Amino acid sequence: MATVFSQYAWLVPAFPLAAFAILTAFGRGWSRAGAWIATLASLASFALSLIIAIERIVSNAEDYVGGFDWLRAGAVNLTAGYEVTNLTALMLVVVTLVAFLVNLYSLGYMGEDERMTVFFSYVALFTSSMLGLVLADNLMILYVCWELVGVCSFLLIGFWYRKPEARAAAKKAFIVTRVGDLGLLIAILLLFWYMPDHALDFASLHNVFHTQSGIISTSITTLIALLIFVGAVGKSGQFPLHVWLPDAMEGPTPISALIHAATMVAAGVFLVVRTFDIFQASQAALDTVAIVGAFTALFAATIGLAQNDIKRVLAYSTVSQLGYMMLALGVGSTTAAMFHLFTHAFFKALLFLGAGSVIHAIHTQDIREMGGLGSRMKATAWTFGIGVLALSGIPPLSGFWSKDAILSAALEKSPWLFAVGVLTAFFTALYMARLFFLVFTGKARGDAATYARAKDAPWTMTIPLIVLAALAVVSGFVQTPMSGWLGSWLWSGEAKEHAEGVAIVASVAASLLGIYLGWLIYAKGTIRRDAVSSRLPWLVKLLERKYYIDELYELLFVRSLRGLGKALAVFDDVVVDGAVKLAGGAVAGLGRLNTRLQNGQVQTYGLVAVIATVVLVLAIAGRRFW
Amino acid sequence: MLENLPVLSLIIWIPLLGSLVVLFLPGYNARAVRGAAIFFAVVPLLLALWLYASYEPIVGGQAFAEQGTWLSVPLNAEAFGLHANVASYRLAFDYRLGVDGISLPLVLLTGVVAAMASLASVHIRKRWKTYFTLFLLLQTGMYGVFLARDVTLFFIFFELTLVPMFFLIGIWGYFGREKAANRFLVYNGLGSAVMLLAFLILIATLGFSSAETSGGTELIFSGSYDTMLANLKDPNAAAHQNSAMFLSENLKWAAFVLLLVAFGIKLPMFPFHTWMLKVHTEAPPAVVMIHSGILLKMGAYGLIRFAAFLLPVQLHASSTVLAIIGVVNILYGAVLACVQKEFKLVLAYSSVSQMGIVLLGIASLNETGFEGAIYQAVSHGLISALLFLLVGSLHERTGTTRIDELGGLAQTVPFLSGILLTAGLASLGLPGLSGFVGEFLSFLGLFSSMKALTAVGVIGVLLAAVYVLRSVLAITNGPLPERFAGLKDARFVEALPMVVLTALIVLLGIYPSLLTDLMQHGFDGLLKELQTRVGG
Repeated sequence: MATVFSQYAWLVPAFPLAAFAILTAFGRGWSRAGAWIATLASLASFALSLIIAIERIVSNAEDYVGGFDWLRAGAVNLTAGYEVTNLTALMLVVVTLVAFLVNLYSLGYMGEDERMTVFFSYVALFTSSMLGLVLADNLMILYVCWELVGVCSFLLIGFWYRKPEARAAAKKAFIVTRVGDLGLLIAILLLFWYMPDHALDFASLHNVFHTQSGIISTSITTLIALLIFVGAVGKSGQFPLHVWLPDAMEGPTPISALIHAATMVAAGVFLVVRTFDIFQASQAALDTVAIVGAFTALFAATIGLAQNDIKRVLAYSTVSQLGYMMLALGVGSTTAAMFHLFTHAFFKALLFLGAGSVIHAIHTQDIREMGGLGSRMKATAWTFGIGVLALSGIPPLSGFWSKDAILSAALEKSPWLFAVGVLTAFFTALYMARLFFLVFTGKARGDAATYARAKDAPWTMTIPLIVLAALAVVSGFVQTPMSGWLGSWLWSGEAKEHAEGVAIVASVAASLLGIYLGWLIYAKGTIRRDAVSSRLPWLVKLLERKYYIDELYELLFVRSLRGLGKALAVFDDVVVDGAVKLAGGAVAGLGRLNTRLQNGQVQTYGLVAVIATVVLVLAIAGRRFW
Repeated sequence: MLENLPVLSLIIWIPLLGSLVVLFLPGYNARAVRGAAIFFAVVPLLLALWLYASYEPIVGGQAFAEQGTWLSVPLNAEAFGLHANVASYRLAFDYRLGVDGISLPLVLLTGVVAAMASLASVHIRKRWKTYFTLFLLLQTGMYGVFLARDVTLFFIFFELTLVPMFFLIGIWGYFGREKAANRFLVYNGLGSAVMLLAFLILIATLGFSSAETSGGTELIFSGSYDTMLANLKDPNAAAHQNSAMFLSENLKWAAFVLLLVAFGIKLPMFPFHTWMLKVHTEAPPAVVMIHSGILLKMGAYGLIRFAAFLLPVQLHASSTVLAIIGVVNILYGAVLACVQKEFKLVLAYSSVSQMGIVLLGIASLNETGFEGAIYQAVSHGLISALLFLLVGSLHERTGTTRIDELGGLAQTVPFLSGILLTAGLASLGLPGLSGFVGEFLSFLGLFSSMKALTAVGVIGVLLAAVYVLRSVLAITNGPLPERFAGLKDARFVEALPMVVLTALIVLLGIYPSLLTDLMQHGFDGLLKELQTRVGG
């Protein structure tokens, strides 16, 4: 079947790129007009993506590859190519849809900001780079876009540039993710020299690692896979490089929804899926992915229990859910990972935008100063509630199906991984229940005057919430134990997921238990809130301080780099420059000594003459004995 | 229409002509002086662009060659001892110019940076006439360095850059300018002496050719680069003359080490870098644009042109050492850049770090790495020129470039801040901007032979993010100090060169083939030598 629309896929990133160019070149002084240009561009991208996806669903079109020569130098011959497969089509739809909704939402949320055009131009650049990342047909172009989304994330985290915290968070995000990027870069260098014909495109990777495996030795394969995973760990906020993601919440909330929940942070998962052939060729790499993912899922969920900033709770939740996706990949189920990526994009974006509405209404992010907002902000409360249930994995909402797919896959491989997954599901439900009940129910704890004015946001902000809430409900039905449509579409008929009854029962029980416990503590008050903190204060402190990882890194890396720098500065000044000065000084000193000898006193000249004669005589006489 | 003109000579000598014209303009008329200087800086750029448009990468050759006999000195035959076939000896100084895939990118860089720096010289507040006279003289020297195909001529042009530079730093610099100028001259003079020694060795042992005259065979010694290359390739070269005179292994090593030191000082290579710190902080920004943007690249160019092409065996034998020095440069410069409080010093140490990448490219011994080295040189030239352009504009407004005294400038000067951020991102190697390509190709090239060392060097990329973001964000973001509240953003004459340089950085980042296609076949000769002499 011919691919009519797929060949125009390059237009999908081109729309927002054009918007970025227009806003950057002429946008000074525009405000709402510029914002609308960017919003319409993202709508155009979404429309085209949807058409492409529908075409591929209806007609089962073949993959399409296009591009042009990008870099020829020596052995390097790289194209800037794009590839449309069912996987990329799915990602295009997710990214453009969330991007469009976030653009729409930002029209309201950022409406008062004097640098509104700059904001929308950054968002457009981000959208374009993210779509480029999705479409890239080779690792090099993917890497280029990978870095570009990173820099957009950096720019947007630091968007409110007057705040020193925003500046610090932006810097941290860029540097920490760059640690991961270096892993990916070295993996590309390795692949370049080990792959036949220096090919870096995904089709060749599939050939070498899957079809005719054995060309590259297992140890090198493992090394490459692990280095790629390091990149994914950085981008997707996995332990131990997770520290930047919660700080990234300094950025405007729509950004947290778009970049730090739905799209960019999922790029790490997407990268592993894209290069999964390499991972499958190395069991060690797969095991690493599974363990890191499972650990991160649990680890971040426990931290989420003790945070008081509404966005930080959601941020740790994101880290935790990305851990789930990695776990799915580690146990070999790309379908479960992509499925969870798909559903998570909607309900997490929904939760962030809902949080944004709350922050927009009462100007605080501290959940201890909220409470009772449900009656004043009905639309927000309802949609947020749906997001909470979806994330907690309550059937039949989307999160239930995707989480269940992951847990079933984990159970097949290892009961331990499964147990960690279920425990995480319990904590997830608990911290989400805590968040919901503290924000929307009970008595208002904050400033009364602000509360009186709190209301639902304008339509541009509410519509995205409703659309996302609807998707959070229904998007799970693309892949159920009854019909494995998504999996068979993505991989053209390969492996259908089959759910384990145990997994379903365990995960639903854990989620319900979590929500019930949350209700008892934070809504009903049957259990006192300080029940844990009064008995185990150190544990609560440990969670609040996020296991002191930031402090540890500060000591290990920041301080030691600074110390090394100071030491080297002294070395540079005293030793390196000192040697130069010494050499220069010696010449000058000799010159000065000679000047002093020329003092006009006959006695001095006589003395010099005598000494010189003696030296000369001795030298000539001495030659005989040599 | 330009085919029949000696374009290379025009590129070199038009700035000199401009220098003379400026000398005869009335000194009080700043407009006329500045206008003339800009005109005479832009014309060579246009000629260089014409070169770019009409240059075809051909297998193993230069293009647009120009030559003429300049000076010829008969040598005393007895001094050489008697040689059966040779009747007389002669020493020839020739005027030989040529351009190939290696020098053309650097000629273009020189054109762009020189033209932009002449625009940026609006910040010069005294003695315009002398300033622009020297400024144009400096350009003649730089073009000459990249276009000369004769070591003697190369040396003369190389020296020609030192003198104007000395005065430009010493007269128009900041507080410590005189000391910086002295430092510059002493250090570079030393480098030149070392270089001259190496060139004399090369002329005496490699630069010979024979000619039949009425009195018998005449052996001619010259600095001709192409003669040297030909003799190097010719297995019978030694037999053509007194074989004792032919380049022995020991002499080759001597020449190689001397060249490494001479160009290493310019590059700069650790531990010869301290002189350039002072130049970066004390010279006027427009002059630093030239210094950091072009003069440092003469070191890279010299290393490739002479040390690598003429002494491939030595290059091969010392590639590990070179790579280690390169990695030391990268990390040492980067760590030091992370702790500087003066923005100009951050940039100076970052230059040390970035030029280390050039060394890696050279040490890789393959085409990818060599092209990466040139690409990195060009890209760093553009980026550092842009950064110092910004330093000039910032200093004019705030009176300081200390990081701890600045802050929040994005509020009052958003255009300057935006360009500064872009330049910073380019310098930390963001893909999509030119810095990434040179870095990537160099690392890629070296990775084929020295994986672990490359991986260590890649850490520099991370440190680059640290020092760039730390300093740039400290200047543009955060709270704005009270006294900077009323600053004005860039004027047109400032904005123009910034936009041009930024556009080029973006263009080379998005479509690197613009430059790499030019370098095609540029390294053929060297690669072939490496393959035949060292066996692959």
